[in-house]
Amino acid sequence: MKTMKPTNRRNFLLAAGLGGAGVAAAVVAKGRKPEAKAGAKLSSQPSGYHASEHILKYYKTTEV
Amino acid sequence: MSAQAAVAPVTLRRALAAEEAARADFYALLARLLNGPPDAPLLADLAAAGPIEGDPALARAWQELVHASAAMDADAAAEEYETLFVGMGKSQVSIYAGFYSGAPSIDPPRIRIQAALAALGLARNERVTEPEDHFAGLFEVMRVLVAGGAGRRAAALADQKRFFEGHVKPGAALFFEAIGRGRDSNYYRHVAAVGAAFVCLESESFLLD
Repeated sequence: MKTMKPTNRRNFLLAAGLGGAGVAAAVVAKGRKPEAKAGAKLSSQPSGYHASEHILKYYKTTEV
Repeated sequence: MSAQAAVAPVTLRRALAAEEAARADFYALLARLLNGPPDAPLLADLAAAGPIEGDPALARAWQELVHASAAMDADAAAEEYETLFVGMGKSQVSIYAGFYSGAPSIDPPRIRIQAALAALGLARNERVTEPEDHFAGLFEVMRVLVAGGAGRRAAALADQKRFFEGHVKPGAALFFEAIGRGRDSNYYRHVAAVGAAFVCLESESFLLD
């Protein structure tokens, strides 16, 4: 029997494995506090992944 | 209850759908790994991550990244990152999208990205020295468009699609291929495989309603 590919975007993403168990979230949202230097500003966005100096810099990159 | 409390504004934020949160997480992870080498806690978290069930290419690439993360140490990752990406003219792989899209002298990618960011209400912070076409920056922009952040809500899908197709997709596949071919690419070969599979899924998903 031929397997039909989802034609709906949401179903397509879910079938691809995005959203099922929270893939990257499993990596990044384990409740570990980011190791930022004292005084470093953290984004208010609860990203969960390790907020190194590098990623803090990129949060600043995208500040409005 | 006081009158003041009765009229206090209440802000409700709709939670992201699971698949949108997963997209944002992938963009965040790619941005993080391309912005600098993984440190020991991130490697440990990646090594402990569960499998992906779904797209075979993404599932396989993810599993290999998980295994590679278990075997990698932070010092070696830092050395590999430096060798692959750092140093104009001496790095093995360019981490700038303009390198892969031809970078014409008129209307170069950086200028087009600046204009696109301005249209979206975003801009590079003046303190940041990396140009706008750094792939970590492009993926971080996508994360903000997908999940919101920096005081803004998630962007409309049409805006996400426009930025992705205009500035991420044109160079991403070649970039990840270049990492895979890098002479000293070891850990980052697996990062590239995950990136390539994810970008491929994104490209397909934007074709659907």
